[in-house]
Amino acid sequence: MRASNPPAGPGRPLPSLARKLSAVWMRHFTVYRRNFFTNSFFIVVEPIIFITAVGWGLASSISSMGGLDYLSFIAPGQVMVAAVFSAAFDMSYGTYFRMEMDHNYDSMLVTPLGVTDIFWGELLYHGTKGALFSTGVLAVFALWGLVHSPWALLVPLVGFLTALTFGSLGLFAVRLVKDISQFNFFISGVISPLTLFSGTLFPMDKLPKAVAFCAYWLPLFHPVHLTRMLTTGRFEADWPLSLAYTLIMPWVLGFFAARAMRPKLIQ
Amino acid sequence: MPANLIEAKNLSKAYGDFKAVDGVDFAVRRGECFGFLGPNGAGKSTLMKMIYCFSPRSAGELTVLGLNPDRQAAALKNRLGVVAQSDNLDDEISVRENLEIYSGYFGLPKKQAAQKIEELLHFMSLTEKAAARIRELSGGLKRRLVIARALLNDPELLILDEPTTGLDPQVRHLIWVKLRELKKRGVTLLLTTHYMEEAQQLCDRLLVMDKGRVLAQGKPRDLMARHLPPYVMELPASRRLAATPPGVKVDRYQDRVFLYAKSPAQLHRLAGKLKGHFSIRPVGLEDLFLKLTGRDLHESE
Repeated sequence: MRASNPPAGPGRPLPSLARKLSAVWMRHFTVYRRNFFTNSFFIVVEPIIFITAVGWGLASSISSMGGLDYLSFIAPGQVMVAAVFSAAFDMSYGTYFRMEMDHNYDSMLVTPLGVTDIFWGELLYHGTKGALFSTGVLAVFALWGLVHSPWALLVPLVGFLTALTFGSLGLFAVRLVKDISQFNFFISGVISPLTLFSGTLFPMDKLPKAVAFCAYWLPLFHPVHLTRMLTTGRFEADWPLSLAYTLIMPWVLGFFAARAMRPKLIQ
Repeated sequence: MPANLIEAKNLSKAYGDFKAVDGVDFAVRRGECFGFLGPNGAGKSTLMKMIYCFSPRSAGELTVLGLNPDRQAAALKNRLGVVAQSDNLDDEISVRENLEIYSGYFGLPKKQAAQKIEELLHFMSLTEKAAARIRELSGGLKRRLVIARALLNDPELLILDEPTTGLDPQVRHLIWVKLRELKKRGVTLLLTTHYMEEAQQLCDRLLVMDKGRVLAQGKPRDLMARHLPPYVMELPASRRLAATPPGVKVDRYQDRVFLYAKSPAQLHRLAGKLKGHFSIRPVGLEDLFLKLTGRDLHESE
């Protein structure tokens, strides 16, 4: 047995973009496979606990919200919240650890992978997780009778795209923070408010006009709005806008977020 | 195919006002082992990073394998092997899985990768550890794995940043054997080290640098001949020397005195006059290194 091949020389082909992205995806899948269950369990369970609590304590006093029974109104938001938190946490704290403590990206960057390959691969991995988690939460809600339309089969796709969006926001946070404690601003100051004010718990018309206008264009409103239309089958007039926003936003944010990481790694 | 794998002319790297690398010229020939020596903070690692596309140059010219590291990074990195200072392996998974994942970054087809991985496990004597998780490995085993990992793409140029720092002598010697074997197969080696014995054992040519600038470069033997007489005797500084005979050079460093001469006989005569036992030895790279970089303490990086 010999490892004694002469050097390969300039003839060695470069991996395709798809091959590079799938290699990064496989890295995350393989490395995090072992503790996947413990890390994801509460992401899926939390929205379920939340809905249970609201169902027992609150839903009976609210006859209807936005023309739906209250639990059916808030369920779609909680489905997306699972995708939001998994991506936002893992691509802020997680990415920071991979970069600053474990130096994982340094070992990847001395291969044909570039900075954008690495972070697009990572985004797609978290997109996959987002699809999986939103599906898990949706499945439980379906058993509870909170899903009313076969359009809900498209919800995993929305979960995937929403995770890309929030993973990208996480990367921007990594670019901006000076030390790890500053991620508190990102989670408590950006992500948590978004999960409360994006039409998740009450319709936007309950908000002051200016706040509602802002929230309408922030990254979570349209995915939640679209998810609600899919789980109820009741499409509103602005569905094409919500669909377009949900489809396009993650790729725009991801494009800039992956590029923003370059100066963190190449100096 | 050009004879020089790396060519650098007036290469510079500045971070703000600080010049980490300042007008460096050198060339690495195909098939040789080239070493960067220098105190901490000399600019060795920055120079390495510029070569493996981690650090765009501020000024000057740099060609690696005929490519421009700033503009043809992917094509260049596809043909490099890099062993960085930190091990940066994926701790949670096994030795083999680490290699499998890494082979994916080069786009190696599965079957070809599996075969290459078996070869490299064997080559670095890791076959028995293939299923072990990284966190169960000793520092020496990790280092061997990092070297195996850097060979997955059959690199033409293997870059090693302090490959044996912190390892025990057995592992160090094993790694030297393997690096020499790679050189025999035509792999060009570029390394930094703080171990003069390592430089002596491996390097055909050396570049000694400090504060971002080149102090000397050439073959170890030529460098020593150019800068130092061939023999040296060390004394405690407390020994008083009546007079230094002609042809003997004196150098003081902290509590030691170094006497250099053309022949051991001159030093033996001197030792005879002084009572006690003194070692008289040929000068080594360590003497050269200290002479060139100054016998004072440097700020660490």
